[in-house]
Amino acid sequence: MNNSLLACTFTLAGLGLIAWPGARADVETFMDLRNIAAVQGDAAAGKANSATCAACHMQDGISVVPLFPNLAGQHAEYMYWRMREIQQEARADSPMTALLANLDDTQLRNFSAWYASLPPAQHAEPARGAASHASEGARIWSEGDATRGIPPCQGCHGRKAEGHPLAAEVIRWRLVPILRGQAAAYVTQRLNAYRDGAHTVTSSARMMNGAAANLDDASIEALAKWIETGESK
Amino acid sequence: MSVASRAIRGLTQRTLLPLWIALATMLACGHAGAQSAALDLAHFLPAASRAQAASAGESPAAGFANARVAVNPAAASATPVGERMCIACHQLESDHFTHTFHALGLHAASKTDASIPVCETCHGAGSLHAQDPTSKGLIIGFTKTSGTPIAVQTATCLTCHEGGPRDHWSGSVHQRNQLSCSDCHNPMAKFSGEGLLARASINDTCAQCHRDVLVQFHRRSHMPLPEGQMSCVDCHNPHGSITSPLLKTNTVNETCYQCHAEKRGPFLFEHAPVRENCLNCHTPHGSNQHALLVTPLPFLCQQCHSSLRHPNDLQTPQSLITGAHPDERLIGRACITCHANIHGSNAPSGPRFHE
Amino acid sequence: MRRQSGHRLLLAPLGGLLLLAGSIAHADSGVGVDMWRGNVLDPRGGADSRPLDPHGTSWLSPLQRRSPSGNLYLCPAASPAQTELGDWLFSGSLDIGFVGVGGDEDNALWNRYADWEDGFILGLLQLEFLRPRDGSYASLRASRISDDDAYFDAMFGRAGSYKVHAFLRELPNALSDSVRSIWNGVGSNHLTLVDSLQVGASTSEQVGAASQAAIERQVSVNRSKQGLGFSMYLDPRWSAFADVSHEQRKGARPFGGAMFFNFPFPDNGGILETLRPVDDSTVNLNTGLRFAGSQWRFDFAYSASFYRDRYTRFDYEMPFALSPVIPGAVSAPLQRGQFATEPDNDHHNIKAAITRKLGNAGEFSLTASLGRMSQDDSLIAPIDCQGVFGIGLGGSLEPGPQNPFLFDCSQWNSSAALPRTRADMRIDTSLLDGRIVLHPLESLSVRAGVRFNREDYRGNWLAFNPLNGAYGYVSENGAQGSVVPGEVGFWYPGAGASNLTRIRNLPLDLQTTEANLGADWRISEGNSIGADLVFNRFEPGNREREQVDFRRISLNWTNRALDWLTLRARLSHLRQSGDRYNYDPYEFTFSSSLPGFVEPEGGVPAHTVDALRKFDLSSRDEDKFSLIATVALGDDMTLGASLNGMRNDYDATLGRQRYDTHGGTVQWDWQPNPRFMASAYYGRDFSTLELANVNDQALGPDPSLGGPTYPLDAVWSDRDRQRNAYAGASFKASLKRLTWDGSWTWINARGSNRYAFASPSALAYFNDSTSVPGNAFPDTHYRVNAITLGLRIPLGGRVSMRVFDTWARGRFEDWHYAGMEQTRVIEHRVYTDGGPRGYRNNLLGLLLQVRL
Repeated sequence: MNNSLLACTFTLAGLGLIAWPGARADVETFMDLRNIAAVQGDAAAGKANSATCAACHMQDGISVVPLFPNLAGQHAEYMYWRMREIQQEARADSPMTALLANLDDTQLRNFSAWYASLPPAQHAEPARGAASHASEGARIWSEGDATRGIPPCQGCHGRKAEGHPLAAEVIRWRLVPILRGQAAAYVTQRLNAYRDGAHTVTSSARMMNGAAANLDDASIEALAKWIETGESK
Repeated sequence: MSVASRAIRGLTQRTLLPLWIALATMLACGHAGAQSAALDLAHFLPAASRAQAASAGESPAAGFANARVAVNPAAASATPVGERMCIACHQLESDHFTHTFHALGLHAASKTDASIPVCETCHGAGSLHAQDPTSKGLIIGFTKTSGTPIAVQTATCLTCHEGGPRDHWSGSVHQRNQLSCSDCHNPMAKFSGEGLLARASINDTCAQCHRDVLVQFHRRSHMPLPEGQMSCVDCHNPHGSITSPLLKTNTVNETCYQCHAEKRGPFLFEHAPVRENCLNCHTPHGSNQHALLVTPLPFLCQQCHSSLRHPNDLQTPQSLITGAHPDERLIGRACITCHANIHGSNAPSGPRFHE
Repeated sequence: MRRQSGHRLLLAPLGGLLLLAGSIAHADSGVGVDMWRGNVLDPRGGADSRPLDPHGTSWLSPLQRRSPSGNLYLCPAASPAQTELGDWLFSGSLDIGFVGVGGDEDNALWNRYADWEDGFILGLLQLEFLRPRDGSYASLRASRISDDDAYFDAMFGRAGSYKVHAFLRELPNALSDSVRSIWNGVGSNHLTLVDSLQVGASTSEQVGAASQAAIERQVSVNRSKQGLGFSMYLDPRWSAFADVSHEQRKGARPFGGAMFFNFPFPDNGGILETLRPVDDSTVNLNTGLRFAGSQWRFDFAYSASFYRDRYTRFDYEMPFALSPVIPGAVSAPLQRGQFATEPDNDHHNIKAAITRKLGNAGEFSLTASLGRMSQDDSLIAPIDCQGVFGIGLGGSLEPGPQNPFLFDCSQWNSSAALPRTRADMRIDTSLLDGRIVLHPLESLSVRAGVRFNREDYRGNWLAFNPLNGAYGYVSENGAQGSVVPGEVGFWYPGAGASNLTRIRNLPLDLQTTEANLGADWRISEGNSIGADLVFNRFEPGNREREQVDFRRISLNWTNRALDWLTLRARLSHLRQSGDRYNYDPYEFTFSSSLPGFVEPEGGVPAHTVDALRKFDLSSRDEDKFSLIATVALGDDMTLGASLNGMRNDYDATLGRQRYDTHGGTVQWDWQPNPRFMASAYYGRDFSTLELANVNDQALGPDPSLGGPTYPLDAVWSDRDRQRNAYAGASFKASLKRLTWDGSWTWINARGSNRYAFASPSALAYFNDSTSVPGNAFPDTHYRVNAITLGLRIPLGGRVSMRVFDTWARGRFEDWHYAGMEQTRVIEHRVYTDGGPRGYRNNLLGLLLQVRL
């Protein structure tokens, strides 16, 4: 090799070294949840420490304040990773941020296991099938809206909002929350957040960003109502 | 020569000069006649309103004008749902798809004619799948676990891509062996420069099954496939052809003449095995001998020649330069040192290829 | 660089056409070559340069899915960053940098298809413009390693409407780096001896010294190709395409030169490995019109090819003097030998295919094709000499009846000595192919086909010299007739009336008729079996057999029933037979067929032994099997395996008797996440070729094996075995911001050749029967070990740097070249090419990638 080649090599290598520290930009800590393991936890320990949680989410995990979600009977994986998401995002406007800030991984798992073990809220069997087109929410839930690009929520959340049909066999489908009987106000708030792209830090959130992208306010309201009450008008 | 002047010389070489001209031309063409329009990623998604589509004022490109929702026998009652609903769940797939050729064409076409579907052109009507995505087969899928029969997969691609190079797909060896188009192609993302292949190059795609052929190209004499200068598809048509080895021309020799036209002749004096089939002496994928020969000289020639005097003597290593009696019939190029015009001679004094 | 003027006339109108929008050609998987542009630096043509999308393929599932055969799809690349330019979106990158090669830089094996030069390289320039509004696009890709190793590829068009494609490509091909030439003028068509040698009067020692003094150099043939093409949809069902390409080859290659034997006559004859010039140009044109409708499909294509060679002949100076075998006689000095280069030829072919769909996904198609290959190049003179040539009896070079073996050059050294001045040769081809596929049941498909292919050889040449009434030619540039009386190569009445020589060309008609029948039964979605029967009749003209038939039956099985395994297996058996083998159909091409031919004393010597079977027409049995398996190992790994074998048994006492191959490969792919991928393969293959022949013992008329000419104790056999092992691996890993990549290629090829003989009479040299231990040639070896390691470092923003190193070692041994390091000249044999050599090289490269 000739001298000029060596000179160029060293110059470029030097440039590289100088540029290196600057090149290390902050990479967003992204949580890829597509390959998660099952979430195990000590439900009894979770119950023992759940006094703070119960203040809003009640002892039985079925909250009375519409903005606070029901937790009873929800998939442990969903709850655990939702709490991790809240910790990661650390949003100032969320009451949960401060509440979860000091919890460690074991505690999160225990809470998840505890609330997953509780019986879910009982509600009337949601109307379904062709007869329920009367309800806008039901229609969006079961068929979506092709003209607006809204996918049928039942595809992932189950025909009766009971969760993903393969949740028992495939772990990652337990990240899809069981929505049946969930508080409408809470659902509205969450769908608004997904539609507006507020959550981007997990793969599930990215998934929901797309699913909710084409929802308008009226659809969100209709869906939330259907989810909570199963009402067909 | 200094590096700088070498660089300048490199950049202005005859092969690059057209590059600069073409570049300038394309940039000029790109600006000329361009309508100014606010562009963002939404342009890749179907028009939010039909009004936007109407403003395009063009008819769809001929290749996409007949695109319709694919027929899925396993979901006969499904209705089309449109690209926006597909993307709602499959955004990441759409992100990658957007940068492919099909997306470029389908998006442009569907903007001018709303009846031209995008995703559903290949995947079929999506309403049943959207409602029950875990049931396989309700949407036309092209993967191993999709639940769609191979015949449906290939028939779907062939609704647009029938004919031309794929004219003889039906009954071809790849079709008979239950290959799907998606074994070699993956149009959902741009993996290869051209051809929407499943791998980064044609050779890598064929190597998925035919690695035993591709390794032969690493032998001493070979055509430049591993060096990236040629591909399997220069000689073979994987989609089927009227010849048994899937050649692109009518015969083996015609395939070879595309690059080796000097051997076409016809010559005044022919060498019969050459005229009949290049593969009588050569092996196309790689050889341990010189010039892709099947077996070393002089034995290659002694398979057929036993005329009197000198061709049929058994030579031994003693006939090499290092032996007791160097003999021109063995050293170096052996027979073809004298019979050099072995592929045929156009010289009146060339019946034995000496001239 | 001057090019053959023959193409200027052709290229001018083409050049004009190229500027028009609708005159382009586009090679596709059905027609044409030039399907890929890449180089040694980046065989994948830029596909590897983009980083992978760290998020993978889908939010809905991890990892990649598998193709229906079980191979994992790759992780897609991250979306390119695009800039808006008005209506257009632009993305591009530029890789430029430097490379330096250390080691055996000029080695021909290392540089076989690459031309590494220390210094600046354009690694890759990629530009892409898209206009989403109407689907228009334009793209460009270029790379330049050196003057002779570069490509440029550009296309623009509108998706679904039309496409224009142009490319330039420089492809080097180093043939040898060990050439020692005793001639000047390499690369031209006139080789003259170096100053230290005298034409026709140099001794072997002098030529040897000149060869030693010659600087060892590299010879190569470089291909320079330009192509332009277009394809377009005329309407949704009709499309048209046209391609034109122009390829120039330039360089020189080791060749040969015949000035008669040296082995029977010490210090006589001349075997001269000259270097021939390669300077030609080929224009290929492919055009077609296609229709694809709902019931019918139609494909009409015209293709043409024009080959033009700069030179019609090339000549070389002869260093040695010859001497006749008759005592007291003298050879007329011979100055030069000559070769005719390949003739300018033209090829036209039209093809029409029509397909009709039948019910149940059936199809019937008919293809017809007519073609013509023709050449009418000017013919060179039978000999290049002045004065006289041949043998001067009693030391006198005076022509006349007292010197019957001395001939007048002026009767042979011009085209006046030929019956016509141009070749006027032509082959007309015709092809008819019909095939039908039916699906009587949904799971059963039946197919049948017939094919007829004929090549009509139209061209006759009778070598008659109008100047003197002789028939035939001048053998080996006059050398044979300068050493052995009566073997000058032409027949003439009187003293030459018994000369046996070729006087006619051999028209080679070829006709193939084939019928095939097959069926496939899809037992279940996962299992299908099939069978095929082929009957093929080959009818060559003027060959040992008039009719050669083969029948082949093959069975195939595809199993995809298990979700982790795809298996494809094929078994076939072929039996070839033919009519009576006529060991000598060529008599009509020899002077023995002339009315005035006088049979020599002892009879006309046998043409060849009657028991020899030329293997293309032999009766043989062939069995083949092949197995391809794809195994899914978990979710992120694939294992592929293949096994194949072929056994060919030729029914031949002499000639090729056996040709067997078998081999297998195993390959493994692993992609656990978008940041890491690895793959590896290992393969072995073996081949065995056996042949037998017989050494003639007498110049007699009896062709039978076991007779006096070809006695049984002179039979010998040879077995050539090749054993190859291949391995390779590659990986790509992104750790934080750095991306590492590496690849390894290894091959170990070994050839061994062993012979056996009935008695020492079979040997060229009797005494070799005891002097070669093991009766074998030294093994040939070809071993390459090459490793590349690269690192890409982002430098922030749009810039990243890639540094890579390739270390390669090649080892080569081939007994053909044994001893060439010491000397290339042995008596009157002059070798120029010392053969390939091993190498040990290191290539260091530094590239800066800039995202444009």
